[in-house]
Amino acid sequence: MLTQGIRRYRWWILASAVALVVLLFLPGLMSAFHTRVAQLILMSAGLALAWSILGGFSGYWSFGHTAFIGVGAFGAALLETKVDLGGPAANLVVGLLFAGLVSGVLALVIAYPLLRLRGIYFAIAMLGVSQVLGELVATLDWFQGSLGIVLPRLAPRDIEPQVFYYYLFLGLAVLTLVIGFAIKVGRIGYGLIAVREDEDTAAMMGVPTEAYKIFVFVISAVLTGMIGAAYAHSLGYITGESVFRVDFSLNMIVYALLGGIGTLAGPIIGAVIMVVLTQVLLGDLLDIHMLATGALLAVLVLLAPKGILGSVQGLLRSRRSPPRASKPAAGEAPP
Amino acid sequence: MTIFLQTLADGIVLGGIYSLAAVGFSLIFGVMGVVNLTHGIFVLCGAYGALIVWQGLGIDPLLGIPLVMAVLFVVGYAYQRTLISWAVARSSLLATLLLTFGVALMLRNIMVLVFSPDIQSITPSYAFSFFRIGALTFDLVRISALGASLALLLLLALVLNRTGLGRVIRATAQQELGARLCGVNVQHVYGLTFGVSAAFAGAAGVIIGIVLPFSPPDEVPWTINAFVVVVLGGIGSPAGALLGGLLLGVASTMTSAFIGPAFPNVMTFLILVLMLLLRPHGILGNAFAGSR
Amino acid sequence: MIDRRLFMKGTMGAAAAMGVGATLGGGFARPALAQEKTVTIGGSIPLSGRAAETGLNVHNGYLTAIKYINEELGGVEIGGEKVKLELQMVDDASDPARATTLIQRQLDDGIDFYLGSFGSNIVLPTAAIVDRAGKPMVQTGGGSDKIFTQGYKYVFGFYPRATRQFLSTAAFFGSLEPKAKSFSVVSTNDAFSKTFAEGAKNDCTAQGLTLLKEYELPAQITDTSSVLSSIRATPPDILVCTTHDQNSLLIARQMIASGTNVNLLYQALGPQLASYREALGKYANGITGATYWEPGVDFKDKIFGDTKTFEEYYRRNFDRPLAYHTAGGAACIVTYVTAMQNAGGLDPAKVRDALADIDIMTMYGPVKFTADGDADPLVMGAKVFQIQGSEPVIVFPGEAAMGKASYPTKPWGERT
Repeated sequence: MLTQGIRRYRWWILASAVALVVLLFLPGLMSAFHTRVAQLILMSAGLALAWSILGGFSGYWSFGHTAFIGVGAFGAALLETKVDLGGPAANLVVGLLFAGLVSGVLALVIAYPLLRLRGIYFAIAMLGVSQVLGELVATLDWFQGSLGIVLPRLAPRDIEPQVFYYYLFLGLAVLTLVIGFAIKVGRIGYGLIAVREDEDTAAMMGVPTEAYKIFVFVISAVLTGMIGAAYAHSLGYITGESVFRVDFSLNMIVYALLGGIGTLAGPIIGAVIMVVLTQVLLGDLLDIHMLATGALLAVLVLLAPKGILGSVQGLLRSRRSPPRASKPAAGEAPP
Repeated sequence: MTIFLQTLADGIVLGGIYSLAAVGFSLIFGVMGVVNLTHGIFVLCGAYGALIVWQGLGIDPLLGIPLVMAVLFVVGYAYQRTLISWAVARSSLLATLLLTFGVALMLRNIMVLVFSPDIQSITPSYAFSFFRIGALTFDLVRISALGASLALLLLLALVLNRTGLGRVIRATAQQELGARLCGVNVQHVYGLTFGVSAAFAGAAGVIIGIVLPFSPPDEVPWTINAFVVVVLGGIGSPAGALLGGLLLGVASTMTSAFIGPAFPNVMTFLILVLMLLLRPHGILGNAFAGSR
Repeated sequence: MIDRRLFMKGTMGAAAAMGVGATLGGGFARPALAQEKTVTIGGSIPLSGRAAETGLNVHNGYLTAIKYINEELGGVEIGGEKVKLELQMVDDASDPARATTLIQRQLDDGIDFYLGSFGSNIVLPTAAIVDRAGKPMVQTGGGSDKIFTQGYKYVFGFYPRATRQFLSTAAFFGSLEPKAKSFSVVSTNDAFSKTFAEGAKNDCTAQGLTLLKEYELPAQITDTSSVLSSIRATPPDILVCTTHDQNSLLIARQMIASGTNVNLLYQALGPQLASYREALGKYANGITGATYWEPGVDFKDKIFGDTKTFEEYYRRNFDRPLAYHTAGGAACIVTYVTAMQNAGGLDPAKVRDALADIDIMTMYGPVKFTADGDADPLVMGAKVFQIQGSEPVIVFPGEAAMGKASYPTKPWGERT
């Protein structure tokens, strides 16, 4: 199915490859500020994609994905400050892998009971999990969540940190995109769409819903954890407050919804728009930037309710006649 | 033993406030399935309303409750009939999540602009009084807050169970289509539900304003608390909110007294997660739309 | 399926959006007028979110000093030229990622001098960026030891590092008559409060006081009833709260409303705010707190002339009550200007050296930094004040004292 998928999406993949090449050369052309904005976009896109692998494909909306950012960040920070791994390169590789491992194990432990919950109940349960972990990290001295941890430097002295982290987040975003693509075009992807549309029927038809859900939950957590560890390094100093943030959880959903949920391009588009808006266009509005962001969100929901991809698709479709009623399979159009 | 009783009493008092602050959220969720992230803002609106009543008009803030409720009822009704219903019609229930989040951001910013980011407190003459029963100490203002909460919850229960409006709201919650077929103007009922919810959030806000210092960022914890209370008690009914709130209050103070003062939040959310796993429809359960 | 075209649009959209950013970002730095030289001071400050109240106070301090310099003095003489100042602050909303990105933009725009945000988890990441770029930062918002132990050369703080901040307060407790014997500590789960509480425990124990109990609360609290029951059961002579403004007010209110009495209540943050004193009314009398400055103590100042002129000028232009954070903010600008004058120009590295050597008197009091960049605890350490007659009165150390501490303080019910 993967090869089929690749064949079907070959132009799509080609375009991504071209985009990737452009992105690889961008830091040489951009100012430090724009590199930093791009770094933030790549991180946000990576996070929104990782969230989408669970939330977009299977319809299990997590309101607490910041739990994995925090666990990844603190996992890496604690490992690297307590154990001498032998240099920045080792810190980078081992730290990120460890962050992914810790997040993945956590996800695996909570997956079975939590994924039995549906809809808003799953969402709230994840919110609860993230709050419990955030509070524990802040409360128990061993985690140093309230005093904070200074992370070892990763970027070599002669490379500007924003360029270094640009590439790190680019790598992680690409990894997330590739994994997301493989899942989407694979058997699991179709199984998840069935779960999203009607889980009981899917199970009745022989889709191993439980296993699929747990699989994508863990994958999503691993990727989120790794991005969380990279985020911690890019800040250099973290407290519980800087990684266990409700707004992280909400932003991932906002980006995915804004771009078009259930798609891979959607979360990326959403992240680009929101980061550019909040950091670049509205960054100077000293005391009304929240007002502007909020108003924009409300307007987008009302004017582009199916996300940007959905609206564009709708526009394209309405120009063609007759409307393609039979063509699109479930899950292809944004829900 | 004294400590235990004192902790229990403190928990119940705190729980009464949580209950009232959550009941509106529960109602909207139960009737419409909408998760209203603007809820905490409504609560804070009540607190700021009380501040205006107290400072500007010199009226006791508790007496300002009807006024605050009336204003917020109108605001809530209008909010549902415009933004919320537009969003539901154009996309989905889940999109209201984004919409209410956006509106909450805007309103929080507006609050900062209007009221400044400063911490505000309302301190009527009785704010610092207390009385003792045996070895137990009771904070007068918190006790009156509990009393007001119970009275208002009872009022809401009566409205829902004994009036025509309540019957229509319950019918719509149970089966929207059925209600529509019986000639119920469902959009109007949704608007009324939102209005009632906002009004009760505002009433809770008045009480919270008298008990606690507040500032605009406080809207977030009140939204999250409402979530927890709803899950604990069950959706859509004043009784569920009361039970959930009391449990939350007692669990908080007990944890603080016997495990450590740093742990009540951990415990709260742990209970939330466990509750969801063991009995996802809350202790009382229900037959409302949002839970199905 | 998702259209391939759509995906392409997505990625191209990204590139296009960045292009938009480039054009908009480019117009950011305003060209100085030909005949008049302007130096821009940048930085971020929380104007929304939890820290906004103090953020606003600090920001007003910056504004006061800059307005005074530009409008009353017509600029300052630096290296033989008349120079005006411009302030470009952004709201970081207490979000570290937002703060670092916005600071980077200011660096790109060629801003050479920075003021700090509030809260160590924001100050530290931004300090790392400006230090790497070799631009100085003077901040009144981060006291964590970690800021001053990273080897940064360009970062200066107006407070002593957190573990040294309690020394003078503990000395005050030691000086009380009749002797105080015991103390308990209430702290919350955040870097400031926790470090401060550590300092308090060490320094008070060194003064011969016995630690009865410590209470650690979550970062945001809505109820402290069980902590207060425990305090009523084992009351200490002194209750030390190393809590932030809103939490401090909540604790004080609940103490009063539950009849929880101690001989002395000390709160690190909170009592310095006019809104705190107003909310508690007569009950506030006797509560002690830390301050770095109070109106009414007169210092000579190069820019304003003296503290009194500063106070009058502030009150003419702003409605908000004066807080020590406001005076601190203004003093940051005075310190910067003096360092620029001493350096004889606007070269960031030279200004940095001048900052490191600075030893001046300002309307805020003396300013002098340690080799690590934090405030010298002997020169700029906290003063202790007690609320007396609803006004803060400095009671320690002796040379700055405006009045005598009352100890033990009366039970809440007997306060007038």
